Amino acid sequence: MSSSTIWVRRPTAPPAGDVSAPTFRLDRPLAGLTIGLRTDRAWRSWQLISTIWDQYLRRDGAQTIAVETGAQIGQPASSDRKQIEEFAGQVDAAIVGLGTCGSCTTFTIKDAVTVEAHEKPVVAVVCEEFTVHAHNVARHVGHSDMNVLVLPYPLEARPAEELQQIAQEYYPTVLELLGVTQ
Amino acid sequence: MTLASERIEISADPREQYELSLREQWGDGVPQLPATDDAIGALLDASPYPADHVVCVLPPRNGVATVELVAINAALAGVEPAAFGVVLAALEALSEPEWNAFGLTTTTSSVFPMLIVNGPCRDQLGIDYRASCMGGAAGRGSMTIGRAVALCLRNIGGQRAGETTKSVFGQPARFGFCIGEWEERSPWPSLAQRRGFSSDDDVVTVHGGKGTFPMADIHNDDPRDLLYLISKSLAYPLANMFLGNVENGEVVVAFNPIWAERFGTAFADVDDLAAYLRENAWQPIDLWPAANAKLLRDRGRVDSRGRVHLVERPDQIVPIVCGGLGSLHAIGLPSFGESTMQSKPVVYGP
Repeated sequence: MSSSTIWVRRPTAPPAGDVSAPTFRLDRPLAGLTIGLRTDRAWRSWQLISTIWDQYLRRDGAQTIAVETGAQIGQPASSDRKQIEEFAGQVDAAIVGLGTCGSCTTFTIKDAVTVEAHEKPVVAVVCEEFTVHAHNVARHVGHSDMNVLVLPYPLEARPAEELQQIAQEYYPTVLELLGVTQ
Repeated sequence: MTLASERIEISADPREQYELSLREQWGDGVPQLPATDDAIGALLDASPYPADHVVCVLPPRNGVATVELVAINAALAGVEPAAFGVVLAALEALSEPEWNAFGLTTTTSSVFPMLIVNGPCRDQLGIDYRASCMGGAAGRGSMTIGRAVALCLRNIGGQRAGETTKSVFGQPARFGFCIGEWEERSPWPSLAQRRGFSSDDDVVTVHGGKGTFPMADIHNDDPRDLLYLISKSLAYPLANMFLGNVENGEVVVAFNPIWAERFGTAFADVDDLAAYLRENAWQPIDLWPAANAKLLRDRGRVDSRGRVHLVERPDQIVPIVCGGLGSLHAIGLPSFGESTMQSKPVVYGP
């Protein structure tokens, strides 16, 4: 080291590895399957969209199971996570949303991870503004290949007719990401 | 001393560390001190743990916070060795699951860890608890400890505005927030004592605070009337705690020593004080427009008298005493809601 230089240390943690947990596909038709829909009580727009998808899924021959979450800590969160664990065991595949805020995107991904841990296909649904964040969280928890469906942003404060159109427009993509065949 | 982190040779010009921090996104925009091996070694010598000891894992990137990495960030912030244990204790506290660091580091909210220090170390380390303690007092401990924790969240946890943290506005405390409690002027046991520690312990409590919410009054002599108004002010209609689960989260309310003395005459027991604050921290359901009111009703938040309480229990309103002797003011530190305060004792090296 010359007298005009000094040595300093890098303050950052090493980046996480890019190894991803496996993802899963249905590779079969929808009829006769049980599809789970996870909602978050914070988002009315998502409740409407998931209600419409629930109708479509039943129309197309699937059974559905819906769960609603709303807590991140304490007894309510323990109850939510227990419910998600049971839900993951009951379904053949799941649609988990909605990531349209920072922490709710985080918990959307975490709950989707629970489904993947049961070796079931899952789609995490987020709004466009939170896409990068969703992929970051998925990578940081070791599920970088997770299926993420991106909906327009913002959804809140849109008229119900627009939300219905969005539900209709994106329904085929959800099925495709889950690996539903004809 | 063997360190694992990468060494980088830079110019000895004191501006070069700053330029490096800007290029590498290591900082908060404010100049840093160089993290040389001498500076890091002095911090490590003040810790009972080896350099490779894992303090915690910090979200959102799930970076592994070794004592060495924490020391590097503390060196950048200018933490003196005697204060290093407070940084470590704060990180241990915020990594407790019920603090919900993953949620709080990624949220759109402005929330950030606010450190409240109790114990003899306050004076020894320059932790501000008197005039302008929440900004402007410039005690070395307050400014460097708070900033070191913030740098650890950035550099080890990977917190980056707009990328991994979606905080819409942020807040000044995201530079770092560390205050003490003016225990000697409090009529009640200190925050740490109420949480099971002794008055001789140095303790750091981490609160997920959304900001500093100011209140002022010059007209009231009656302590109960003034506390009533403080309760009502804490229960502002768009508080997070009206959005989520009533049983989660705490609101911290900081009383200046003059008001604290006055309140102590009416409530010798701090639990009675908290119960009074909780009892009056409500708004009538009619205050909210129909859409909000429906959700509050659906979630069982409205009692038989049409009141919506901010919190479920008295222990969710947490009084502390600090600030100058100019009286007239209180500060609320509103809660994110989905976070529970955590306290850890400071552990010193040999």
